[in-house]
Amino acid sequence: MIFLFGAITALLSLKMPIGTFRMAGTGMFPLCLGILLMILSGIFVLNIFSKGKKNRVKKGSSIESSSPIQSVLFLVTMVLITLLFNPLGYPLSAFLLMAVLLRVLGAKKWTTTLPLSFVTAAICYFLFVQWLKIPLPKGWIGL
Amino acid sequence: MFESFQHLATGFGIATTIQNLLYCLIGAIVGTLVGVLPGLGPIAGIALLIPATFGLNPTSAIIMLAGIYYGAMYGGSTTSILLNVPGETASVITCIDGYQMAQKGRAGPALAMCAIGSFIAGSIGIFGLVFLAPPLAEAALAFGPPEYFSLMVFAFIVLSNVTGTSLVKSLMMAVIGLIIGTIGLDPVTGDARFTFGSIPLLSGIEFVAVAIGLFGIGEVLTNVNQPLEMLEQKVLIPRLRELYPSFQDLKRSIGAILRGAGIGFGVGLVPGPAPVIATYASYMTERKISKHPEEFGKGAIEGVAGPESANNSACQSAFIPLFVLGIPFAPPTAILLGALLIHGVSPGPLMISNHPQLFWGVIASMYIGNFILLILNLPFVPLFANILRIPKKILLPLVILFCITGMFTVNNSVFDIWIMLLFGGLGFLMRKWAFEGAPLLLALVLGPKLEVAFRQSLMISHGNFGVFINRPISMAFLIGMLLFLILPIFWKLFKKTEKGGGGSSKQ
Repeated sequence: MIFLFGAITALLSLKMPIGTFRMAGTGMFPLCLGILLMILSGIFVLNIFSKGKKNRVKKGSSIESSSPIQSVLFLVTMVLITLLFNPLGYPLSAFLLMAVLLRVLGAKKWTTTLPLSFVTAAICYFLFVQWLKIPLPKGWIGL
Repeated sequence: MFESFQHLATGFGIATTIQNLLYCLIGAIVGTLVGVLPGLGPIAGIALLIPATFGLNPTSAIIMLAGIYYGAMYGGSTTSILLNVPGETASVITCIDGYQMAQKGRAGPALAMCAIGSFIAGSIGIFGLVFLAPPLAEAALAFGPPEYFSLMVFAFIVLSNVTGTSLVKSLMMAVIGLIIGTIGLDPVTGDARFTFGSIPLLSGIEFVAVAIGLFGIGEVLTNVNQPLEMLEQKVLIPRLRELYPSFQDLKRSIGAILRGAGIGFGVGLVPGPAPVIATYASYMTERKISKHPEEFGKGAIEGVAGPESANNSACQSAFIPLFVLGIPFAPPTAILLGALLIHGVSPGPLMISNHPQLFWGVIASMYIGNFILLILNLPFVPLFANILRIPKKILLPLVILFCITGMFTVNNSVFDIWIMLLFGGLGFLMRKWAFEGAPLLLALVLGPKLEVAFRQSLMISHGNFGVFINRPISMAFLIGMLLFLILPIFWKLFKKTEKGGGGSSKQ
């Protein structure tokens, strides 16, 4: 994947003016970097092969040792909140973000999650919007 | 030397205004909190607070942000000693003897020696900074584009060599950081690169988004996978009267503190995660020269005082390459460079003469900040330790909320939040696959400078690459870089042959 990233960088750089070493064009530096990244990723792959199967099995098992479900749920929640950030506005987004993330982390009772999320969102709203006067999205609730 | 004292006195005048004292105090408190709370390191802490400094003058802004950096070094030791969980990477080594001391009911003296040692070493570091920075700045005036290019390449190689598990992996991260740094307008011609018609991308990738993503969101995503009970164990909180060390403790620690200060100061001048390396070097030194090496690992106070002093001293001396050369050697100072640039200050050899108020004001504020931290950390340790009682399942969503809020406030742009989330996911995967984020961040910040230096050098030499070897300072950096690349290989080969020789003699 890193090799591919290097290759794409090099290919895209070739579409820009390269120039000469004396008068380098826009594409020269990223082209050099793309090629360097391809070389490094090649060395990396060779290193892995030279270290042998034993190490690879060991490494593979460490990657799979913990389930990333909670991390993925965290990331998905953040993506959804970012999508709705402008239409919902800051206070409502903050409230929803806290409520969902608390549930993801195992808070079972809504009676704890909702008041806690409400208080956090309210404190953040007063701190950032009212006190620090930071222009955060108002959304349809207009706060 | 006398001139430096005069300038420092002026700096104290600037740092002791009510406004700057307040920002220094805020920086020190936030830094201590950042250090205390696992999951939020100094890099994400500084990056998150940058938007809060937009309304301030550059001096007050950097005073506050620098306070977060060295404050985190103080705070990091608290969790190491009380919980055996390092608040940030530089405090990992403190866990070894600090937690053992806490288990024996000596958490108070351990915390006190951390604070006292950090104060003494921090003060020594500041004096080193005062006397070394001006002559170094004068010497750096001789640097042209080839010297800067070689120095930056040297910094990447050394940083890549000392971070992570593999040099190739770290170098790949550095090159990826450089590629990401090319997104936006070409710094020489002004042409758009890799923007794909996107207007927000014209100004490049926001480094704050990358920093918060890699080191804030990435850390949280890694943390949510770990058992939540880990931080909800019983916290050993010492009482105020238990905090004061005995005369014996002080006597045993003073040598370790001074040695730690010296080691830390030296390490801070070299590219790499200085506070982390300094703590390891100090711990190893103390164990080697101790009359009671058997006590190390079982609660030796020197094993706490030395490393904690070293990380604070390294923190102060890391400001020398940033202020004098304009080149940060570690990620936290790279973030501070970004902050300086946002405030219209370009650090480098001329910074002392062009922005004396900022330079001397920040240095004087560090001394005041260290004093504030000593006061904060001795009597208020129980208070900071109580923060550890906040359950992780509340803390982690809070960090996410602060990251999203902080990121939006940088440019009032949802696009930056997307970039942050992208790098957050990347940071999580990088942690999983043992790739280091530090070289990527440093390369991203230094990328445009490196490119300009590279292109200007070749312009000067009419396309001749010999310009990097023909100039003595540039050649010295390149030789240093080669040594860093080659020596570990020779060392490995030497160890292999020694092992092989040993093995055959046994047979």
